[in-house]
Amino acid sequence: MIECPSCGRRQEPLLICAECGSPLAAPLDCFAALGLPRKLTIDLDALERRYHELSRRIHPDRFASSAVAVRGASLRATATLTRSYRTLRDPVARGLYWLELNGEKLAENNKRVPPELAELVFEVQEQLAEMRDAPADSAAARELASQVGARRVQLQARMDDALAELDRNFAKWDQPAQEEMLTLELKTILSNIAYLRTLIRDVDRALENAKAA
Amino acid sequence: MEAGEPRVIAIGEKGSALLPSVVAIGPDGAITVGERAIEMEPHLTIERDGQVSAVGFAGGEYGAVIRSVKRYMGLGGDEIAAEDRARYAFADLSGPVVRFQIGRRVFTPSQISAEILRDLKDGAERALHAAGKDEKVERVVITVPAYFNDGQRQATKDAGRLAGLEVVRLVNEPTAASLAYGLNKMATGNVAVFDFGGGTFDISILSIKEGIFEVLATNGDTHLGGDDIDRAIVDWLIGELRDSLKLDRHVWNSARTAAEDAKKRLSDVAGTDVVVDLPGHSIRKHLTRTALEQMAAPFIARTLKRCELAVADARITPADIDAVVLVGGATRMPLVRRRVAEVFHREPLCSINPDQVVALGAAVQASVLMGTQGDMLLLDVVPLSLGIETMGGVMERLIHRNTTIPTSVAEGFTTAVDNQTHVDIHVLQGERELAKDCRSLARFKLGPIQAQSAGVPRIEVTFLIDANGILNVNARDERTGREHSIDVKPSYGLTDDEIERMLEEAIDLGEQDLEERLLISARNDAEQILGALQKQLGEFGPLVDVGERERMEEVAGRLEAARTGTDRELIAKLVEELNEVTTPFAERIMDAAIKLALEKKSVEELS
Repeated sequence: MIECPSCGRRQEPLLICAECGSPLAAPLDCFAALGLPRKLTIDLDALERRYHELSRRIHPDRFASSAVAVRGASLRATATLTRSYRTLRDPVARGLYWLELNGEKLAENNKRVPPELAELVFEVQEQLAEMRDAPADSAAARELASQVGARRVQLQARMDDALAELDRNFAKWDQPAQEEMLTLELKTILSNIAYLRTLIRDVDRALENAKAA
Repeated sequence: MEAGEPRVIAIGEKGSALLPSVVAIGPDGAITVGERAIEMEPHLTIERDGQVSAVGFAGGEYGAVIRSVKRYMGLGGDEIAAEDRARYAFADLSGPVVRFQIGRRVFTPSQISAEILRDLKDGAERALHAAGKDEKVERVVITVPAYFNDGQRQATKDAGRLAGLEVVRLVNEPTAASLAYGLNKMATGNVAVFDFGGGTFDISILSIKEGIFEVLATNGDTHLGGDDIDRAIVDWLIGELRDSLKLDRHVWNSARTAAEDAKKRLSDVAGTDVVVDLPGHSIRKHLTRTALEQMAAPFIARTLKRCELAVADARITPADIDAVVLVGGATRMPLVRRRVAEVFHREPLCSINPDQVVALGAAVQASVLMGTQGDMLLLDVVPLSLGIETMGGVMERLIHRNTTIPTSVAEGFTTAVDNQTHVDIHVLQGERELAKDCRSLARFKLGPIQAQSAGVPRIEVTFLIDANGILNVNARDERTGREHSIDVKPSYGLTDDEIERMLEEAIDLGEQDLEERLLISARNDAEQILGALQKQLGEFGPLVDVGERERMEEVAGRLEAARTGTDRELIAKLVEELNEVTTPFAERIMDAAIKLALEKKSVEELS
């Protein structure tokens, strides 16, 4: 139970006081902050509308002349809201957050390269190493840069596939009695995405350096 | 705001709406802001010890004229470029805050900015008074470059506080500009705001939907602006003379003015002559628009690179941009407009004066904050990632750049060795991998923590970024629920104590200054009346009898003696007394003058 700084009413944690409509600095999970059930499938347009509507009601700009306690509640409530919105808007962040809510974490046992990506990861890293060793502005360096550029397209395609797979599976996983399987599958896909993301970042950096050289 | 429309108030002496950010500080601490400060700059240049930064004031002491103080806001001494060190005298550059050394006094950039804000406040109040509205300006919205970091924002807020103003909100300049444009036509779509000013560059991408202005991404460079182009022209103009000719500041100033004028002219014509007067001779060179564009191209290329990054961060493509808005004086260059149009595939909007559009937008935001624009809301972002230093000097990002603000993140901390009673936390801002390449924001010492085995204590630290983009920190012991004290030492910037002291100093100095001004004015009165008396006794001596002359000379003698002292009231009293004893004499002089004039007239009539 929390107390509203404006009207003093004690209530269940919410972003907006049920009595007087003032912002409340309540500790809420991302789904609860936006008033959504804990489901992986989310209608992004509806999510944005909800976010805008809540922002209009609790944003600090609306309380610039209010009492200090109300301003503080508005600041904290809006921080919770924006953070929740950003987490749920991005499917990968949403998936990771969902795992976290269920007491799971990806980072700790994500040291091993996912088997289906092993070959790709190996090849890309090989190429990046060659690129680093090639003399700057040589024909070989240019050839390697163009090969890595082609790799970048391939990696993006794999990423798009993984994201589409994630999206397709959200609906399936939202069905009850799938808990056990769900966690494992979700972890696998998210782990693949995390790996692809790192690879793409490394490739982009290498290409950027090659361009600058 | 008038009837829901923002209007810029003219406050300058010449009815100008722009107050140049130039502040002159005399050796006695007398402060002049704006146009008059610029006038004090060139012709008072005095060289001393080979340094041309000092400006001479009456009495042979030294003051300074500081331009574009915004460039120094929130910087540490180690961040001052060599060029700036040649331009100004700084006090101890090893400190966390840049301080200008002027005479025996030191001024922080926040203090100098406060003078500009105070001048704006006074000007606005005068203008309101003239319009029949006796309103005080007490709360303000201040705009800052979107790419300002936490320290620069904090320094701006400090300036407001030092000027006696409550800073209700800091608004990012490109965002403010979008408000000014978006007001009339509450359109829905994506807008890019290209803000190329004198010293800074910002690009912001916004999504506008039913009155919600949501910044998707921002990027920029706080050290890239039209001034860089001017400097390139100056180099071309007189650069080759740098070594052969001993160039003083006067020459640099006139070269810079000539460069700036030429740049402006070349927006309309294809070629122009640029003339710089040097001691003894002058330089005349012909500059074409093509040549200027070649000089400007590298700087413009840097702005376009930033645009690409911002569009990518916004997760859209240039084709998704529905409108491009131009802000800042440097966007008047045709080349800038052409290149921007190419990048975004559309002609940019520039119907609102680029020098005023930000101020107009700030007024709109102020009315949103006052609750009189109920349908609008601004959702801005933090421009640079925020994180902490972890093992091996690596920066761990906790809040990524372009995250909507306000936002917060909580991070758990524990101890690394047994019985550790404090945890040191180093907060950083920037996009680089290593802590040493990021900007240090603050160091926190968490504790005291109850002595326990390593890893047992659990302290949750919440980093909260408010709607101004400024960081606040709070720590809580998870086991006891107790709030932890945090000893916040800003790496750069002023502590609360320092601000308090400056405020006290400002009040003391204010009183001292007033006393000094009154004394100077009394001395001037004395000088004037004594001078006049001397002159009149010389010219009209025969009109005074002996006793009268003695009485006048006796009072004048006492005033002469008092004039060199500091007793302002005594001086004023004697001026009054001398005025009284000389009144009959003055009247006789007047009579004589009238008589003389009449005689002359009658002679003229006769002839």
